[in-house]
Amino acid sequence: MRITVNGKLRELICDPLQPLLYLLREELDVTGPKAGCQQGSCGTCTVLVDGEPRRSCLLPSVLADGTEVTTIEGLGDAARLDTLQAAFHHYYGAQCGFCTPGMIMAAHALLERNPSPTRSEIQTALGGHICRCTGYVKILDAIEAVVRGETFDESDRTPHPDPAEHEVAMKGAPA
Amino acid sequence: MAKHRGRGISTIEYPTGMNQNGDPSQAWIKVKPDGRVDVFAGTVDIGQGSKTVHTQIVADTIGVPYDWVTMDNSNTDSSPVCTGTFASRGTFIGGNAVRFAADQVKGRILEIAAKELEAAADDLEIDNGLVSVSGAPERNISVSDVAAAATWGHGELLTGTGAALKPYAPVDPETGQVDIVPHSAISYAACVADVDVDDETGEVTVLRLIQAYDVGRAINPTLVEGQIEGGAMMGLGLGLLESSYPYYPDVEHRGSQFGTYLAPGIEDLPEIESVILENPSADGPFGAKAIGEMANNAQPGAIANAVYDAIGVWVTEAPLTPERILRALEQKNAGQHEPRRDGKRVVFDEEISINAVGDRDSALSFQAG
Repeated sequence: MRITVNGKLRELICDPLQPLLYLLREELDVTGPKAGCQQGSCGTCTVLVDGEPRRSCLLPSVLADGTEVTTIEGLGDAARLDTLQAAFHHYYGAQCGFCTPGMIMAAHALLERNPSPTRSEIQTALGGHICRCTGYVKILDAIEAVVRGETFDESDRTPHPDPAEHEVAMKGAPA
Repeated sequence: MAKHRGRGISTIEYPTGMNQNGDPSQAWIKVKPDGRVDVFAGTVDIGQGSKTVHTQIVADTIGVPYDWVTMDNSNTDSSPVCTGTFASRGTFIGGNAVRFAADQVKGRILEIAAKELEAAADDLEIDNGLVSVSGAPERNISVSDVAAAATWGHGELLTGTGAALKPYAPVDPETGQVDIVPHSAISYAACVADVDVDDETGEVTVLRLIQAYDVGRAINPTLVEGQIEGGAMMGLGLGLLESSYPYYPDVEHRGSQFGTYLAPGIEDLPEIESVILENPSADGPFGAKAIGEMANNAQPGAIANAVYDAIGVWVTEAPLTPERILRALEQKNAGQHEPRRDGKRVVFDEEISINAVGDRDSALSFQAG
């Protein structure tokens, strides 16, 4: 099958009924989507298939043949966070982080089709995503911040001291 | 056949960690030659933020910027012992261990800085990575330079260890008394729940949870808020939805799949208001007590009280499922199983109180057997 994952075309032979989640995680080493309940109940395996959010644990790989799949890795990475990722970071929208990939992918899909959802529309869109740590409050806060158009400056961190800056005389060192 | 609004209140107290030598935590800190601080401790961050909080404690205790500190809890073999992340103990006990270690490190930094600045260590203070002489701030040296001097000049390692353990209080077998008071920093909390109860379907909707937590000192208020909000939804689940064994101790009808265990979803989210009270403890790091395990204890009681306020029935078993609400209503209408009033107290007599192991007969036969 041919599948485009995060913009990169992959050609491979695989079991057609194997869930897309395992294809991504085990064969393509794309481990952003998490294996939670693996029954379609928790939402953390959510990826975008041709832009639509799908539970990758329930989707046979053959149905993803010829599609474009976007995972959380396709949005941004640690060096350059996507706006939603930065918002989750800024608003403490993740605690253990296990539900986060699914939450962000579902929120991303929602904002693509409705850039200004109400709080209750966000709740409906994320209704199938379980989070056991945050109580959802800060997840909603983060998404609403993006809806409001907030931007996030991640550059205000104190830099580590630079070892090259030291000018300390060596005491007692051999001449 | 109507919806009824009700309000309920509950309060809890919660001890931090375990008494009687129950749960030691240890920490080791070393300073790199460039001034960066490495902390080794076994406390596991499962998302509650102990890594952040411990880093804050170390940075503030020594007097260096937060970003100079690396909390290494990558494995529990090379790290000193920590009994674990439970009993709301991370900030109090684990936090004290890193604080004690950081205190030692600070002392070592001041010793070396005293030599470099030719001043008495007692006259020095550290702020934001800079050691300076009290009252003469122009005489200063950065912690980075102190660490370099220790490494390359004095041949020393800036390091410190810390350990926290609650004291053992031996119990006199004759009198049952203890010589020293068992230690516990008690956190307190209160929860107000507003609910709607549908007396036809038995369905309870939580509209609002107002929660106040006395956490001693909120070292990271946003993380404390995260614990309160997360605990609110866990408590809402325990109060209304979650049960592994709905007919415990009978294992019939237990859920066999993830989806059959009901956890609250984002659409169940009520309006949540969090209040943080700071009533510092005598011996926690910066006065901190606890928030964590305690955060999901107050809600089920508050919800059950709100249900009573709404429809006048006591449901004495959680979760308050529609079935239990409707049965309680039925019994009330038939005039059965009412708790009695004893002054200000509502007393649940034996036949309507809940036995921890199910029905009374099986409890008695279990004890006899």
